[in-house]
Amino acid sequence: MTYAALALIAVLVGVRVWRRRRRGGGGPDAAGRPDAAGRRDATGGRHGPVLGRVLGAVDTLGGDVGLVARREVRERVRGRTFRVGTLVILAAVAAAVAIPVLRRGGHSVERVGVVGTLSAPLRASVEAIGPALGTKVALVDEPSPAAARRALGAGHLAVVVVDARSLLVDQALSPDDSSTTGLLVRAISATVSLQGGLEAVGIPPQDAARLAHPPPLAVRSLHPANHNQTARTTALYGLILTYVLLTQYGTWLVMGVVEEKSSRVAEVLLSTLRPGQLLAGKVIGIGTVAMLQAALIVGVALGLGGAIGSDLVHGTAPLAVVASLVWVVLGYAFYCWVYAAGGSLADRQEQVQSLAFPLQLPILFGYIVSLTALGTGTPSALVKVLAYVPLTAPFAMPVLYGLGDATWWQFGLSCVITVAAIAGVARLAAAVYKRAILHTGGRLHLRDVVGAEALSGTA
Amino acid sequence: MLELDGLVRHYGDVVALDDLSFTVPPGQVFGFLGPNGAGKTTAMRAVFGLVALQGGHVRWKGERVGASQRRHFGYMPEERGLYPGMVVADQIEYLARLHGVAPVRARGAALEWLERLGVGDRATSKVEALSLGNQQRVQLAAALVHEPELVVLDEPLSGLDPVGVDAVSGVLEEQAAAGRGVLFSSHQLDLVEDLCQSVAIIDRGRLVASGTVEELTTGGRRRLVVKVGGDWAGAWARQVPGVTVSRVDGGAVRLVLDESTDPQAVLAAAMAAGSVEQFGFERRRLSEVFREAVA
Repeated sequence: MTYAALALIAVLVGVRVWRRRRRGGGGPDAAGRPDAAGRRDATGGRHGPVLGRVLGAVDTLGGDVGLVARREVRERVRGRTFRVGTLVILAAVAAAVAIPVLRRGGHSVERVGVVGTLSAPLRASVEAIGPALGTKVALVDEPSPAAARRALGAGHLAVVVVDARSLLVDQALSPDDSSTTGLLVRAISATVSLQGGLEAVGIPPQDAARLAHPPPLAVRSLHPANHNQTARTTALYGLILTYVLLTQYGTWLVMGVVEEKSSRVAEVLLSTLRPGQLLAGKVIGIGTVAMLQAALIVGVALGLGGAIGSDLVHGTAPLAVVASLVWVVLGYAFYCWVYAAGGSLADRQEQVQSLAFPLQLPILFGYIVSLTALGTGTPSALVKVLAYVPLTAPFAMPVLYGLGDATWWQFGLSCVITVAAIAGVARLAAAVYKRAILHTGGRLHLRDVVGAEALSGTA
Repeated sequence: MLELDGLVRHYGDVVALDDLSFTVPPGQVFGFLGPNGAGKTTAMRAVFGLVALQGGHVRWKGERVGASQRRHFGYMPEERGLYPGMVVADQIEYLARLHGVAPVRARGAALEWLERLGVGDRATSKVEALSLGNQQRVQLAAALVHEPELVVLDEPLSGLDPVGVDAVSGVLEEQAAAGRGVLFSSHQLDLVEDLCQSVAIIDRGRLVASGTVEELTTGGRRRLVVKVGGDWAGAWARQVPGVTVSRVDGGAVRLVLDESTDPQAVLAAAMAAGSVEQFGFERRRLSEVFREAVA
């Protein structure tokens, strides 16, 4: 938690400094009024160079669709909700990347008290337990049992070895305690008991130590390791990110469409635009912002991971990152149409929640099933099927890939199926949108527009 | 010239447009009148392709109206449509660009129109921060920013204060004077009478009257106002054959003459009754024409 808070503060301070520098940098004012020569730059004169280039690129989309998309990008990026939301996600991602590294590098020390005698080989054996548990063991000689109790009570010691015969802990351990201290106590108990017992029957301490710690047997395998732990962790982060981003972008779309419909601005726009142009511009505009945000998040994660030596950038993990990113894009490309068509059925902003929920159900289902597969490490047959269903593939396929249960061609096949489905769902969504966007007088239901006579639309 | 030719649209059993035809000439302010639910809004939306017609065509300069023509039309819908959270000038600039105004011109045109309609000082405010009257002016700016060849306004005067009404009326007259087509609907018939050169009146989706205001208000049976000194009740008029007394107001009798009645005979009857203080023909009010047409 501390690290997460520090990361959040650092990000917020960084943004404040950046904004202050930007404000002092001159250029057209915040209201977008032209400069002294009455000109505005090609990007509208109100954006930073990066955003300006993005807006320029969106503009080259051509004509009215580009104009609609550009407005979406500008209004979205200007909004406080977007900026704060991005910062919060960035802070969470930074914390998720940094915390494991900081914990690993932080090498906690477990202090083990010693009362009475403990032979040198036994001392060495106890100290050798530390690295195996990812910690360091420091032995502290205590003058008396009473002093050891005090140190234990004050939290200065994790455990006390009394006369190489018993162990003393502050609070009784449950049998399934898997904390570092719990594991340490059980390891010391086994080591001291075995090695001390061997010494007690007359085996020389050096031999007793060797007998208590035999060299491990070599383990050979028929197949290489199936589960790459770091790729699995990356897939987990990717899964969570895909879920958060898709639901967020979907909600943006629903709200954007409902805003145009409920404020009746759609009628003004459609007096000069075709419904398909308005829909495409909105989907592309919000998609551009969404992909910018996703790229920023992944860029920060990889950059930070590289800088601090996270596992995220080693081995097969970068491929898992790319796989997740591919599915964020495909997931958006599929669900954007569903959400936009859904939004056009609403009549007021208050209906957004009740509309967005059923649309989120397949996302939630795919997410939970895939999360379960990641947790167990062995994907069920269900996940293997869902990885080829466009509704759930954005979650199931990257997980399957992260677990090493999908080859590149299976990954590609799922992508192809989803792309084909996107073409179909876009056509259907455009038809629903066209019929519903100008309908007024209460919320429409899908059955009202699918197959029904056109209520309204272009003549 | 805008032609609505045989427009038909039904919503189930409800008839919105029933073979509606009329023509809006350029260079005139053209009033579009009708009781609530007569089909005015449906007809206006049909001009912009916002209603799927079941029959008929809309033509502009003799050609069927399509996307390229609509780009040169301006529209102000009855239920105003603006992005509530968007900055006023940005919004007008955006709509200008959607209508094909060049990027370098769009901002300037937006600010010019806002200034002209008296909301220049609110250019950097968000729409939702404006009063309804000011939002309406912004909406009008949105309809006019691209200098359209035809502007269609659904109830542009409702909700405006007298100063706003004057400002909007002035703009509509300017547009017409510049040779553009101006079609607008309103229930404020006295204003329409002053502002419009021509009107079309529809009822239940059908055209029931159309023509210049002059023709409509002077046509039909002739009307006289006659005042005879000392006869406050206008009793004399009730004895005259071929006239109907429509109203008596302070001794001034308003009469509607039958086709065959000679005004000179009425004058003679009045003079016989006493000293004639007032005698003259009177035009009908547009509101009367309207009531008769939709009765």
